[in-house]
Amino acid sequence: MNKFIAIVGSNSKKSTNREFLQYMQSHFQNQAEIELVEIKDLPLYKKSADKYVPELALDIAKRIEAADGVIIATPEYDHSIPAALSSALAWLSYGIHPFVDKPVMITGASYGSLGSSRAQAQLRQILDSPEIKARIMPSSEFLLGHSLQAFDENGDLKDKQLITQLDGLFKDFLQFVNISKQLNNANVVNKQKAAEFSWDKD
Amino acid sequence: MKLVGIAGSIADQSYNRTLLKFIAKHSQGIADIEVLDINAVPMFSQDDDQTNSEVIQNLSKKISDADGVIIATPEHNHTVPAALKNVIEWLSYEIHPFDGKPVMIVGASYHTQGSSRAQLHLRQILEAPGVNAIVLPGNEFLLGDVKTAFDENGDLKDKRTVNFLQTTLQKFIKFAKVINMIDKTSDYEDEDLSASNKTDTTVEGVDMNDENWLDKAAKKVNAVEGDTYVKLDSGLLTVNQINYLLKTTPIELTYVDENNQFIYYNRFLPTDKMLAKRTPAQVGDSLEAVHPGKERVIKHVKQVLNTLRNGETDLVSMPVPGNDADHHVMHYYKAMHDEEGNYKGVNEWAIDLKPIVNEYLKATGQKLVPDPDNKIDATSGASKKPTEAVETKPEVDATSGASEH
Ligand SMILES: Cc1cc2nc3c(=O)[nH]c(=O)nc-3n(C[C@H](O)[C@H](O)[C@@H](O)COP(=O)(O)O)c2cc1C
Ligand SMILES: Cc1cc2nc3c(=O)[nH]c(=O)nc-3n(C[C@H](O)[C@H](O)[C@H](O)COP(=O)(O)O)c2cc1C
Repeated sequence: MNKFIAIVGSNSKKSTNREFLQYMQSHFQNQAEIELVEIKDLPLYKKSADKYVPELALDIAKRIEAADGVIIATPEYDHSIPAALSSALAWLSYGIHPFVDKPVMITGASYGSLGSSRAQAQLRQILDSPEIKARIMPSSEFLLGHSLQAFDENGDLKDKQLITQLDGLFKDFLQFVNISKQLNNANVVNKQKAAEFSWDKD
Repeated sequence: MKLVGIAGSIADQSYNRTLLKFIAKHSQGIADIEVLDINAVPMFSQDDDQTNSEVIQNLSKKISDADGVIIATPEHNHTVPAALKNVIEWLSYEIHPFDGKPVMIVGASYHTQGSSRAQLHLRQILEAPGVNAIVLPGNEFLLGDVKTAFDENGDLKDKRTVNFLQTTLQKFIKFAKVINMIDKTSDYEDEDLSASNKTDTTVEGVDMNDENWLDKAAKKVNAVEGDTYVKLDSGLLTVNQINYLLKTTPIELTYVDENNQFIYYNRFLPTDKMLAKRTPAQVGDSLEAVHPGKERVIKHVKQVLNTLRNGETDLVSMPVPGNDADHHVMHYYKAMHDEEGNYKGVNEWAIDLKPIVNEYLKATGQKLVPDPDNKIDATSGASKKPTEAVETKPEVDATSGASEH
């Protein structure tokens, strides 16, 4: 069974994105093992001369390395991803490269009706930057709008149509992960390229 | 023009900060730019609202008070640095200092095309409803190859880059003026007659309404007097000479500053002989103190001040109450501006036009006859035209009104 890391893109104690990932975790328990990862205890990203990376980020990186794929659920703050998530991604690409060639499924929940669509579009560009270079599942987008009202008392999604869409997307993601495993001939080189890539070089 | 600059980096060494400092240094004379520090801003979290912390309140106040903001953004992983986004989140959650604020985006990066994606994201972020800044369209300023761009004094080496930056900045200053003007087409209700929004010339630490405000405030700022020379834009006079000049100018002049504080009148007549009565004890008063009570008067004063402040008109004129065949006393309210066009208050003058008309008639051997086409209400005399814009009632005198009664 595939093992996925699910990153909660919100640092709120009561997060609808966490709720959503917990729903995925139980809803898909027969198809994949999903482990939730929190970013809320990471400090704000800062460059340093010695390229220090916090222990917690190194630990998360290790778990991502070991996983078959990553699911990210992002809130939308001011039409973009929260600073907390942006900061986590900066740590996770600072001299370490756990995302290179890693299949990623982007999802997101927001209180508004557009369900973090703009944040997800930006996240796509971020994950494509040279030091992250994730393999983002193409043309997939899962938007959970009005997220405060989206779950019933058991934590299940209320909207049946949304569930059908999510089921389909997840099936696609499983296939994408499988195909991706076969496309890993260049992975060693790609990792090396990311590692050697430096913004400091001319 | 007062601007603040935010470098979107908390790194110890940042080229974007260097760029902002360069901009600040090179805009002396056209803009006064303060570079803000975002280093101590905590991580945004909905669970731990630190909106009221000193660091966030301070940033918010500086931004609110500024006429515009320049943000210099690095690019991290194709987007703005988390540290910059973090600040914007605090400033779009419980408070919204960017609302309606003109913003210019610049960015320095190690690469030729660097920071273009970050600038685009930043634009989207700033235009999100909770932020609602007004970003200067077009005019991307990308400083590539930043590591070799500055000399050892922190100055940009390339002349063309400096010129381009200057042009962009000038455009931004114009843009900010227009945006602020539109934004300020505020309600006249916002006029603060209590003069509590101090301006850069407000004398602090002296009660405005103190009868001896003049002496106390003068002492506080070490004001010059007597035979000390003052250099004016087209002349050199001593303080005494300025007084002689103003006191023989046969028009009653009043200075109300942009904070709605009454700070001067040219006292050449005793109070009871004045067309618009003023007393020495009133000098320094807020306009509210000059017009106690009188709701209708207050409303009218606010309307007049607001049209002048907004630039809807530069001059409001109106006849005062009680004009008769021998008197036609007019009040004029003229907006004053500094070299940069910032509103600096009202020059108010009162004058009786009738003696002038009489003198003219006498000198030219003419007399007045009623105009058969006249559409003006003869009892109030003067044309209503210039006052219509502010719905003035001719019998009300805007800033001296209540003190007369
Ligand atoms: C984690 C990290 C990610 C970066 N990502 C980008 C990028 O996506 N695009 C870019 O042009 N530069 C990128 N850079 C290089 C920046 O342009 C450079 O470091 C910039 O921050 C210089 O500005 P500063 O001196 O004001 O920090 C990155 C640097 C770091 C440390
Ligand atoms: C600073 C801030 C900005 C926000 N901006 C947006 C926004 O642009 N669009 C939107 O749909 N929701 C916005 N929201 C509301 C978020 O949708 C909501 O807080 C969050 O996405 C829910 O995610 P969570 O429950 O996982 O924390 C904003 C919230 C905050 C605190």
